[in-house]
Amino acid sequence: MIKRFLSLEWKQFTRASYFQKGLAIKILMFFAVLYFGGMAIFMGGAMFFILKKIMPEADPIETVNNFMIYWVLANLAIRFFMQQLPVMNIKPLMIIPIKRNIVIHYLLGKTVISFFNFISLFIFLPFTVVLLVKGYPPVYVLFWFLSIMCINMALNFINFLINKNNTVFYAIASTLVVLIGLEYYDIFKISEPIGLVFNTLYTNPYLVVIPLLLMAGLYKINFNYVRKGFYLDDAVSKKAEKVNTTDLTWMNRFGSIAPFLKNDVKLISRNARPKQVVMMSFFFLFYGLFFFTSDVYYEMPSILAFASMFITGGFLMTFGQLVPSWDSEYYKLFMSQNISYKKYLESKWYLMVVAVAISFVLSTPYIYFGWEIFGMIAAGALFNIGLNTFITLLGGALNRVPIELNTKAKAFSNTNGFNLTQMLIGLPKLVLPMILFYVPYKLVSFDAGLIVLALSGVLGIVFKTFFLNKIERIYQKGKYKTIAAFAEKK
Amino acid sequence: MISVKNLSKSYKGIRVLNIENLEIPKGQSFGLVGNNGAGKTTFFSLILDLIQPTTGQIKNKEILVNESEEWKTFTSSFIDESFLIGYLTAEEYFYFIGELRGQTKADVDTLISQFEDFFHGEILGQNKYLRDLSKGNQKKAGIVATFIGNPEVIILDEPFANLDPTTQIRLKQIIKELTQNKDVTVLISSHDLQHITEVCERIVVLEKGDVIKDISTSDATLKELEDYFTGSVLS
Repeated sequence: MIKRFLSLEWKQFTRASYFQKGLAIKILMFFAVLYFGGMAIFMGGAMFFILKKIMPEADPIETVNNFMIYWVLANLAIRFFMQQLPVMNIKPLMIIPIKRNIVIHYLLGKTVISFFNFISLFIFLPFTVVLLVKGYPPVYVLFWFLSIMCINMALNFINFLINKNNTVFYAIASTLVVLIGLEYYDIFKISEPIGLVFNTLYTNPYLVVIPLLLMAGLYKINFNYVRKGFYLDDAVSKKAEKVNTTDLTWMNRFGSIAPFLKNDVKLISRNARPKQVVMMSFFFLFYGLFFFTSDVYYEMPSILAFASMFITGGFLMTFGQLVPSWDSEYYKLFMSQNISYKKYLESKWYLMVVAVAISFVLSTPYIYFGWEIFGMIAAGALFNIGLNTFITLLGGALNRVPIELNTKAKAFSNTNGFNLTQMLIGLPKLVLPMILFYVPYKLVSFDAGLIVLALSGVLGIVFKTFFLNKIERIYQKGKYKTIAAFAEKK
Repeated sequence: MISVKNLSKSYKGIRVLNIENLEIPKGQSFGLVGNNGAGKTTFFSLILDLIQPTTGQIKNKEILVNESEEWKTFTSSFIDESFLIGYLTAEEYFYFIGELRGQTKADVDTLISQFEDFFHGEILGQNKYLRDLSKGNQKKAGIVATFIGNPEVIILDEPFANLDPTTQIRLKQIIKELTQNKDVTVLISSHDLQHITEVCERIVVLEKGDVIKDISTSDATLKELEDYFTGSVLS
């Protein structure tokens, strides 16, 4: 039986759409996996020495234990974001004469080999090896490692229980932020009591039974949950969502593109995938914190220009670059309804402009870092509005990957909208603002750099119609190819 | 209204549609029948400029469909679920289509109210997104949406499939009413010979992309079609 399941699984893997994509994608994916896996292994291996260097007086294992709470919370947050229990796949198995329990065990067992579990393994395994080599007591270390892996699996199963509940995610995410804040400002160090717990686990190897039982218990709860809902109209089915209707008539002031804008707002608020992406674009706002807090970058203003563009460009980078894939599910309707391509593109342009404007308003706290920085963000925002929007739309003309709107993207199993052309077209978005800033900065002054960057954006706004017409023609040319590609079932 | 000349469509050298000459006059109710793979959907997709013809051309009210977008103002269609926007409720979808076709909310409301019995209380006021409706109900919404904005050409691909008997009968009435005044040209395809002979004044049979029969519907038509399709089973 298991053999059959495995063969099914293998077929699902090798025949999945992302495997049938071009060779270039496969290679890229391979490198991506290799990169993340390699990074994790490297981090795990180097962690001991890094910690030793930063805090020579502390025992690295204790430091690791102290910060374990963050690993737990972050782990959970990422899982919540990306990992879903693949219940839908068991539908065809329901009517086949296989014992239910076997199917459920198989389903839950399958989640064990998820990418998310491996990341933790890749980090902690090398760390454990280093500990052993460094002469730490093997019994302590090995049982500690086992405990961590059990907790990792427990998180895996907790995730499926809370996955359907958005409030839980926000609770975890905000707890994480609050705890980091408290820790950073030395108000309350959560890492200490929790660290104590993990250190106790380390020094008392027999306590491994606690995480072990925790994992087993959660497995059982998951099992019962799925078992109880093993009917078409229960866990296996997608829930029909409650409708949220918001009055968007105020958007009618946008005139002829209002219907599209209203539609896009609904698209974002009612579908899992775009919601995820827009949330991601929100994180771009904090990008500046990395750069502006570090003195290193002040010597390289072109990097700062790049960062400034990123702060307001999150929506463009994430949502924008997947235009027109967002409408792939009903593209035929758009192509045969009374819609001109130009109106359609214009509406997307406005959407991006509004998003940049909102990000810009939200970025005002950056004034804290000085007016120079804020001026740079403003110039970056203008560049985003005036030029980046068009570059993004232009890239969209080559984007023919359909998107399933209401399924969350899974790490490495969903290459929606991910392709080589997309990456190539993405390059100018990143490099152009740096060049536009750097050249006049080197030749004249910092202010000149800012002005040129801002002016480039203004130029784009002035020649909007011209750009849109050009882009429209490119879209028209690729129309049939796009329709055909979007119609392909995955 | 629609004129087709030397139209053909090939995929990788295999011809799937080949229509030398076909004129569909204004106000005609035009039916298309044929087994799977006969080219019905391909033909409709070509009229809607969703795919590119290999040779030939289609004019919709003297407009070359692959050169100008003007035909979109008076043509509406429902081919499959990809014509629905899954995350809208039925009402929102109707209003959206209405806005695209220059109709006010009130216009749309008036039009939709005529179809209340067609909806059978399962479409309006359901507080459900279209993607959560059953296949049949999705279809009802899609079909009614094509009536919004006084189109001159309506294209429906297999409108009877997936509908319950009551709705099928009601749909037949609706289509008959639509074409009564000879203002609206309706193109439909179907696998149900009885329905299509009842509704359409002209029926074209496609087989492997070729026009086999072009019949002006009479009492004998159903028999003729049944004989034809029985024959293709026997031979």
